[in-house]
Amino acid sequence: MAVTDILFIALSALALWAGWRVFRVDSMVRASFWLMLSFFAVGGIALLLSAPYIGVATVFMMAVEMMVMALFMVMFMMNPAGLNPMQMVHQHRLSIAAGALAFAGLAAAVLLTELPSDPVAADTRVVHDLGIELLGSSMLIFETAGVTLLATMVAAVILSARSGRYGDAWEGAVPPGLEPGGTPAGRVPDEEGGHHAHHGHDDGGHGHGGHHHGGHA
Amino acid sequence: MTLASVLIVAAGLVGIGLYGALSQQSFVMLMMGIELMLNGALLATLGFWSFALGGAPEVQLLAILIMAVMAVEMAVGFALVVAVYRARQADVIESLGTLKE
Amino acid sequence: MSLAAIPALLVFLALGAALAAVLDAMARAAVAGAPVAQAAGAPFRVGRALLARQTISTEAPDRANWRLAPAWYGALAAVGLSVVPFADGLALVQLPSGIVLWGAVEALTVVVVFLHGWSPNAPFPLIGAYRYVATGLPVMLPSMFALIAAALPARSLDVVAIVESQRGMWNLVRQPLGLPLFLIVGLSLTLRGPMDYADSADLSGGTSAEDSGAARALWQAARLAMLVSFAAMGATVFLGGHLGPVLPGPLWLALKTAIVMALLVALTHLVPRMPVSRMVTLLWVVLLPLSFLHLLQAGLAALWL
Repeated sequence: MAVTDILFIALSALALWAGWRVFRVDSMVRASFWLMLSFFAVGGIALLLSAPYIGVATVFMMAVEMMVMALFMVMFMMNPAGLNPMQMVHQHRLSIAAGALAFAGLAAAVLLTELPSDPVAADTRVVHDLGIELLGSSMLIFETAGVTLLATMVAAVILSARSGRYGDAWEGAVPPGLEPGGTPAGRVPDEEGGHHAHHGHDDGGHGHGGHHHGGHA
Repeated sequence: MTLASVLIVAAGLVGIGLYGALSQQSFVMLMMGIELMLNGALLATLGFWSFALGGAPEVQLLAILIMAVMAVEMAVGFALVVAVYRARQADVIESLGTLKE
Repeated sequence: MSLAAIPALLVFLALGAALAAVLDAMARAAVAGAPVAQAAGAPFRVGRALLARQTISTEAPDRANWRLAPAWYGALAAVGLSVVPFADGLALVQLPSGIVLWGAVEALTVVVVFLHGWSPNAPFPLIGAYRYVATGLPVMLPSMFALIAAALPARSLDVVAIVESQRGMWNLVRQPLGLPLFLIVGLSLTLRGPMDYADSADLSGGTSAEDSGAARALWQAARLAMLVSFAAMGATVFLGGHLGPVLPGPLWLALKTAIVMALLVALTHLVPRMPVSRMVTLLWVVLLPLSFLHLLQAGLAALWL
């Protein structure tokens, strides 16, 4: 067995095992980093498949995405470190059945089809060809993807802006009252202190919010 | 390392992702399941590109588009999590009724 | 290139880290008005003392990530250095997308620093970690634009080709904004000075607040190794790397790396640090458009020069 085959088997095993671990760990932050590891394994397989740009770009993009996801876990989830065991699942058996069925169906399709064979030549300048293609005959697709990403950025900013389409951001970020409609359970900032708290939000507010969030679980 | 083996690994990733997407109560874990499915799709695309389509660059463009879809899904997903949390103090699917206007 | 180059790379990192530590200590003493010559040996004394001290742990830390974070940081420095060519066409790892590999190293550095801050399960390290993510992720964007602009005259993402394209004129000259933007990124990657939101004194050490003993020494050593790796990359992409008239290639690379390191150390101790919210605003509102302008200028220069 060639070195590439051994590497491929190792990386595939890592990708599948890391993907499974995402949903078995108690800690949400660890779950995002297990997902990152799964993507890194797929990036490594892409390098083996002679797609150098896609492989490294996958590693790059997924490191950033999973970093943001881990940060979101710390911000919003009640048990980011997994210090208490937790398994938040619903319709568990249905999901296992659906997953297994999907895998079985796809694998059957793969094994029963006669797959074509036209391997990429060893001396193609893959990155060069990709560049020429992106800015040549597929430029319209690429530009459309660019505009889609711009629309996404605008949508994300609108949904999460401080002025708040769904209410002021500061109001939504304090914990609810101990009685319904009562005063917020956390520290109530005073009016002009609200501005300082926005900046201080970076340093101390998160500590407060996280602490109370964990408390009201 | 043949096309069939790469596609089976991709199918495995899609299966695990589907299990995660259907079983998790938390929004962000649901998104992770969808990301895993896209991961499988990316791997399948690259497998076809490398073994069956002779290195045609349009297929790499499809792989890049899949990565763009991953980015879009994550960005909009997180923005929705933030918006829903501010409106409803909810971070699990069960406690989400409707996202009222 | 053969595996025999790996020890050479590690020696380069070790010697460079030692030089960086000495420069850093001397610069700090010079700025503070203390005797400079005495400060030169301080890093080694402090390092030796730290290695002998006890390692104190916190309650319920993420032990694996905490102990491994300095190792990963050092490994990222080594991976980043492995794409830098030491002589004509000789790099440890020759990828057609070498620049993108450096980008991946930058992204993973942010992940590693976050893990280092998250694993002690303590407030100040966690605050340092997420403050760093808030500045470290946006600062990668000007970095990628600066590197892409440097790749334009070379018509390739391969670092070897980028060095080759500088035979006539260094990228520092034909793309003047590139090195300043890249230096800002370097300050963030190595947790220094104005971009040090992770390990800063106003968080009593930030992500290193709960570090003690050998782990602390290793983390500081890994930061210095990343400084060496970053300086080598900056010298390669903007100052022509191993190109130069009389001396052999590796010696030119070492000299240029030392110059970039000295620049970074000077910036560390001479430029103050802004509050996080202001720095985030600066990154998104000033530096990112500036990097767009830089890319535009580099493209025009590549078309017409």
